[in-house]
Amino acid sequence: MADREERRGLVQGEDDSEPSPSSSKYGSSSEKQLSACCDPSRLLHRIVVLIFMCFLGFGNYFCYDNPAALQTQIVQDMDLNTYMFMQLYAWYSWPNVVLCFLGGFLLDRVFGIRLGTVIFSLFVCVGQVIFAAGAFFGAFWLMELGRFVFGIGGESLAVAQNTYAVSWFKGKELNLVFGLQLSMARLGSTVNMNIMGWIYSSVKGLVGSPGHTTLGITLLIGCATCIFSLICALVLGYLDKRAEKILNKEQGKTGEVIKLTDVKDFSISLWLIFIICVCYYVAVFPFIGLGQVFFIEKFSFSAEQARAINSVVYIISAPASPVLGFMVDRIGKNIIWVMCAVITTLAAHMMLAFTFWNPWIAMSLLGLSYSLLACALWPMVAFVVPEHQLGTAYGFMQSIQNLGLALISIASGYILDNRGYLFLEVFFSACVCLALIAVVMLYFVDLLRGGDLNLSAKKRGQLQQISDTEAEQRERLLQQNREDLAQLRPMSAFGLRNRYLSRLGAQDELKRLQNSLEHMNDGKYLVQNHQLKKDIENNIEKCQMNMQPFESKVVVIQRAWRDYIQRQDGLHQSCMEKRSPSPPSLSSGKMSTSISMNTLSDGSTPGPVQYVFTGWKNYDVI
Amino acid sequence: MGSVCREDASLRYDADPHNPPSEVRSDALFREGLTQSGQTTYTPRLIALDLKEASTVSVYSWCNSATIWEYRDNSTDQSQAAADSYFPPYSLEEFTWEDLNRTLNHSALTAQLCGRNQSQHRGRVCFQISAFESWGRDPAWPRLLHSANSSQLRFVIEGVMPRSNCSRFALELLSIDSRDHEAREETHRSIDDEYTPSIFQVSQLVSVHVNSSAPVLSYAQWKPVAYRTASPVFEDSTPCRHSPSSPPLPPPRLGLALAFFGGALDQGYRASAVNISFGIPGEPFYNATGYLSWSCLLGLGSPPEDSFSPLVLGIMVVGLGTPALLLLVGGAYVCVRRLGRQQPGYAPIN
Repeated sequence: MADREERRGLVQGEDDSEPSPSSSKYGSSSEKQLSACCDPSRLLHRIVVLIFMCFLGFGNYFCYDNPAALQTQIVQDMDLNTYMFMQLYAWYSWPNVVLCFLGGFLLDRVFGIRLGTVIFSLFVCVGQVIFAAGAFFGAFWLMELGRFVFGIGGESLAVAQNTYAVSWFKGKELNLVFGLQLSMARLGSTVNMNIMGWIYSSVKGLVGSPGHTTLGITLLIGCATCIFSLICALVLGYLDKRAEKILNKEQGKTGEVIKLTDVKDFSISLWLIFIICVCYYVAVFPFIGLGQVFFIEKFSFSAEQARAINSVVYIISAPASPVLGFMVDRIGKNIIWVMCAVITTLAAHMMLAFTFWNPWIAMSLLGLSYSLLACALWPMVAFVVPEHQLGTAYGFMQSIQNLGLALISIASGYILDNRGYLFLEVFFSACVCLALIAVVMLYFVDLLRGGDLNLSAKKRGQLQQISDTEAEQRERLLQQNREDLAQLRPMSAFGLRNRYLSRLGAQDELKRLQNSLEHMNDGKYLVQNHQLKKDIENNIEKCQMNMQPFESKVVVIQRAWRDYIQRQDGLHQSCMEKRSPSPPSLSSGKMSTSISMNTLSDGSTPGPVQYVFTGWKNYDVI
Repeated sequence: MGSVCREDASLRYDADPHNPPSEVRSDALFREGLTQSGQTTYTPRLIALDLKEASTVSVYSWCNSATIWEYRDNSTDQSQAAADSYFPPYSLEEFTWEDLNRTLNHSALTAQLCGRNQSQHRGRVCFQISAFESWGRDPAWPRLLHSANSSQLRFVIEGVMPRSNCSRFALELLSIDSRDHEAREETHRSIDDEYTPSIFQVSQLVSVHVNSSAPVLSYAQWKPVAYRTASPVFEDSTPCRHSPSSPPLPPPRLGLALAFFGGALDQGYRASAVNISFGIPGEPFYNATGYLSWSCLLGLGSPPEDSFSPLVLGIMVVGLGTPALLLLVGGAYVCVRRLGRQQPGYAPIN
């Protein structure tokens, strides 16, 4: 669950660069002068909004881990076994198997962000109240129902929170805001872990004896954080409405499009990423859910110590996430980082299983690797999925993550009841091993397909630059082509070619491109300029010879990877072409001809760049 | 009332099965079995219960004598219960004991001796004794690992009316041993809780020769856990504590001890006692279920040590082996492809 916000950040980080729809409009046109903290266009006001925004999710994160913080008390007071106890976590996850797909839709189309946020906050509140009531009356089924309702609100509330963040901070401090929200989420979990036990013993002192009544009152006190969050939702709604009025600002949208039919297009890399995600997280969250008693039983910790060490993963993750995220962004090589994270987690789990070493070591490792994995794994999805499918891919990833969490929570409770902690740890290790297998497979799949998941950030930046210029150029070309369409028709081919190439500045352009390609240090991408020119000349000569006098043809220079996301496909395609003994010519039609620029090296690997000279009539770009 | 078995006296390996000695049932209590190393062994096994003197004695070179204490647990911390919270101990001699022979199971090699307090008709205290033919584990928790050289003693309190509303029980184990031997109480941490979920300790009382590093002569081994129901699940376990073993005491002049060790009891032997209390502060009291069971393994030689089950080892080997193998195979494949590709498939165009 703790990764839903990371995912949102990624989806919405995409339009980070778009200018804010409103802020500049306001200012001179305002009739009454507002003080800085009430003026929606001012930084101070946004900071106020940010505070509410951060606390919007606080209650949710606080209450999510209530069962973990009160594990012994819940098990004793409600007379549960571990299997039933873990049902509390499973019931949280069940609704989210479906709601991951629906949350964005509900916010955008049905409720709108303001009403939606309030509704989801209400769900969280009501869920927690039902949960507490179940404990108060000693009815476990009511507690399960409470967790279910809580789950309906919880995950979608995180979506709403991030949508608010985008709508208020887009183009300004968005990444910082996401970072702050993340830290706030971790803070909520940590505070919960360390304070709930204390609240319980205080209530016990007041009531006089432990029991389900005490538990119910304790959970009801925990509900105060949810009510606090609900108030934040209401205030945010008001402020947003007010800003809309003053600034003519639009309601925020998640902008998420879910198309389930996209699932069939998912590549094997994406499925491997899903497997890593599920297998990794099921070894972390259910473990934290059961951690407290584990530390008490195995390492003879006191209850306070156990709670503290159980929250160490969250404590470490709060500061480590931004740092590690920055590092991964700068270095790239995502698969290697994921592999490191998975291996470290495996080591941590094995340490907990097979040694009596101080668990602070293992838990700190777990916290670090957990943060590292989140930073390296989630962005990978964006590299293997076209942008329009991102929403679906992330929704799907989260959905199966929740499914995995629900099932493994139940399974781990059952295992603990019957086989004990050693076997449970071995089971978690086995899950991490599965994740490791998937990472290794992903590494090789990526390597063999020449994918870019494991590129260094430097190379990635170069590719990005190239693809940007390409996209720009393509736009220009399209534009020109449209303009020229009418005028050019009667021109002779020769004149056309000259005109076209001169307008394009094709020679210069090619040289420039070639330079940047040469920077990509792999020798296989070496392009030789003169040869290229010659080839172009040759092909164009050929073109000319084939041309019918009445058919005007232009040469459209087109590149195989057209933007950052889709470059993958182009790569793959050109690889395939190259590998076959007689590369299928794209110029099979009489009107078009093609050359591959990347034949120019020593014939080992094709470069990703491909120029296709195609006939005018097949003008829509490949 | 007293039932004392001096079976070692009548032990014969070639006992005629058609003519068993009338008094001793050596076919039940003396069995050939396998040791951990697979050798055939024929261990004399004697578990003697002296009920008249309110003691349970199980003898190898050991004599364990038991006293049952009940105390009120008002403490909130881990400290010992106050002295005045102890009720008078149950004296087993006032119990009415059932016939042991009725519960003797010749195939499973178990016997159960139950007694009732005369003032209480419902509750009873039982000692279940199991002998083993080979290496294995009891199906019921705590699933202690046993060998043919060991027997298991299970102590059960069932339905005895508690004398306060926050009662706990404690058991005093008295062992009588030769003065040449030294009783040593050890508690190991064990990472393997697969057979006894959530218990990571093994406690044992071993007897070794004084002044030598000779192997352990005999032992009593238990896991610090008792169960609150007859068919326990995970939540029914309750932790036990045991006091450090007392300094050597002069052996008590119990009838059974005298009968077993004879006149040399005073000179050649000494006793040491260990108290085992069931439940710690914060755990539910005995009153919640009215049931307690605790198991202890008694045996000769070194106490058995737990090791990982084949399933655990298998999972770890497969789990760690598969990624390593995949890495090797994948690496080799990629290398081969790289090498293969360097041969000129296409000549440069110029």
